[in-house]
Amino acid sequence: MRALRWVVVVAALAVVLFPFYWMVNTSLKPQTEIFRSPPTFASASWSLDAYATVLTQRPVGRYFVNSLAVALGTTALSVVLAALAAYGFTRFFPGGAMPFVVLLLFTKMLPETLLIIPYFRLMSDLGLLNTYLALILAYSSFALPFSVWMLIGFFRSIPRDIDEAAMIDGASYMQAFWKVILPLARPGLVAVALFTFLIAWNSYVWALVLTTDSSMYVLSVGIANMVGEYRVQWNELMAAAVIAALPVMLLYSLLERHLVNAITAGAVKG
Amino acid sequence: MVNRVRRNSIWRRRRLVGYAFIAPVFAFLCAVVLFPLAHAFWTSLMRIRGLSATFVGVQNYERVLGDEAFWHSLAVSLEFTAACVALHIALGLALALLLDQLRFARTALRIAFLTPWMVAPAVGATIWLWLLEPQFGVVNYLLQAAGIVRAPLAWLGEPALAFASVVAVDVWRGVPFVMLLMLAGLQTIPREQYEAAAIDGASAWQRFRYVTLPNLRYLLVVASTLDIINTVRHYDIIGVMTAGGPAGATEVLPVLLYNTAFRGNRFGEAAAIGVLLLAIVLAFSIVHIRITRPEGSASR
Repeated sequence: MRALRWVVVVAALAVVLFPFYWMVNTSLKPQTEIFRSPPTFASASWSLDAYATVLTQRPVGRYFVNSLAVALGTTALSVVLAALAAYGFTRFFPGGAMPFVVLLLFTKMLPETLLIIPYFRLMSDLGLLNTYLALILAYSSFALPFSVWMLIGFFRSIPRDIDEAAMIDGASYMQAFWKVILPLARPGLVAVALFTFLIAWNSYVWALVLTTDSSMYVLSVGIANMVGEYRVQWNELMAAAVIAALPVMLLYSLLERHLVNAITAGAVKG
Repeated sequence: MVNRVRRNSIWRRRRLVGYAFIAPVFAFLCAVVLFPLAHAFWTSLMRIRGLSATFVGVQNYERVLGDEAFWHSLAVSLEFTAACVALHIALGLALALLLDQLRFARTALRIAFLTPWMVAPAVGATIWLWLLEPQFGVVNYLLQAAGIVRAPLAWLGEPALAFASVVAVDVWRGVPFVMLLMLAGLQTIPREQYEAAAIDGASAWQRFRYVTLPNLRYLLVVASTLDIINTVRHYDIIGVMTAGGPAGATEVLPVLLYNTAFRGNRFGEAAAIGVLLLAIVLAFSIVHIRITRPEGSASR
C-alpha cells in the first residue's frame, strides 16, 4: 500500500516537473538538434551555448536588469509604506486594522486588466511609458495591499508592552518604531520583502502594456515576445526561461514555511 | 489598572502621530488604486478617439451588451473558470491527501510540486508553447510513440483542442495552490477522529467521506471562491498561448478586454467590459470575505 502511494507520487511528480525538464533539456541543445525527430531526451552534445548566445547577442541580460530594477523598486516602496502603516494600525488604531485589511483584500482582488487601461492612458499622458517609475507604481498597486496585509499580521504578534517600555524609557515614537520594533519584526519584514519581490518579478500584463520599447522589457515580456519571431530559436528561448525561472524557484524554496500564510490572505484559520 | 491607564494614554495622547504613520499608505493607495479605478469608470463612459474623448454615457455598455462577442466571451470565461477550478480543487485535494501520509521528504516534495505555481505564468505558458508545438513538440511525439494519436495534433490551432490546452496549462499551474491550502487543512484535523473511525471499522473511503471531508468543508469553500476570483480575472496564460484564438475559442473576458483596448483601440468599450468583469469578481469577493471574516485569522 505504501509502495503504491510512492508510485503514484513519483508518477505525478514526473508529469508536473516534465515541462521544466524539457525546458532545461532544450536550453542545453545545439540549434541543429532542436528540430530532430524523434527528439533527444538527453544528449552528448549538451552545452551552455544557448545561454551564452542569449546573454551576449540578445537583450536578455538587459531584461534581467529591468526585471531586477522594477522588482527591487516595488519592494522598497511597498515595504516602507507597509511597515509604517502596519505599525500605525497595530499601535495607534488596533480597532481600525481589520476594516482596513478587508479593504485591502478587495483591492487585491481587482482585475488587473481593468486597471491597465487607466494606467496606460495616465502614464502615456504623463510621458512615463517605458520608465521604471511607471512599472514600479503599477506593481505597487497590487503589491502594497499584500505587503500591508502580511505586515499587520507580523506586527500584531509583537506585544505593545515592548514599545511602551521603550517609550517610558524616553524613546520617541519614531525611535520605538525604528530601534525596537523593526529589528524585532525583521524575519517578517524579510519574508514580506521577498514575496513582494517575487510578485513583481513574475508579473506580465502590466509590463506588456506599459513598455513599448524593447530595451525596457522585463523578462516575462521579453521571453513571451521571442515566441512571435519569424523563426523561433527554441533553445535560446528556453535558456532565457531558465534564467527567469531559476531565481524564483530558489527564493520560493527559502520561503516555503511562510507560503501558506502568504497565499491564503486569511483563508486558513490558525 | 494603573498600567492599563498608562498604556492607553501613550497611544491615545498622540493620535496625530498615528495618522502620520498611516497617512502615506492611504495617500499612495488613493493614487495607485482608487484614482485609476475611478479613471477606468470614467473611461467606460467616454468614447476615445486618438487624443479626443467625448462623453457618451452608457453607450459603451449598450454596445458591449449588444455585442455577440461579449456574450460568447462570457460563456468562454464561465466554462474556463468552471473547468479550471473544478480540476484545481479535485486534483489539489487528491495530491494533498497523497502527500499528507508520507513519512519523509515531505518538505522537498511539497516544494517540488509547487514549482509550476512559483514560475511566472507568462514564462510557464511559453514553456508549454514549445511542448505543444505541432511539428516538433514533445507532447505530440510522446502521444504518437504511445500510440494514443496517429497524426500530430495542432494543439492551439483548433478551437476545442486550444480550449483544452489552456485549461490544462492553467490546471498545471493552479493545482499546487489548492494542494498547499489542503495540506495546511489536513494538519488541523484531530488524529483522534481518525482513530475513532478506525475503531468503528470505517474503510479508507468512509474515513475520507465522514472525517476528512467534513473537516475540510470550510477550507474547500474558501479555496473555491479564492480560486474562482483568481481564475476569472487571469490574463497571462491565455494571453501568451493563444491571445484568445482560434476563432475566439479561448477569448475569456480579460483577454477580450485586452484585445478590445490594445488591438482594437476601443478603450471606452474595453473599460466597460472591465467594469462588468469587476462586478463578477466583486460578487465572489464579497462571498469570500463574508466566509473568511479576516477578524479571526489575522489576530493570530
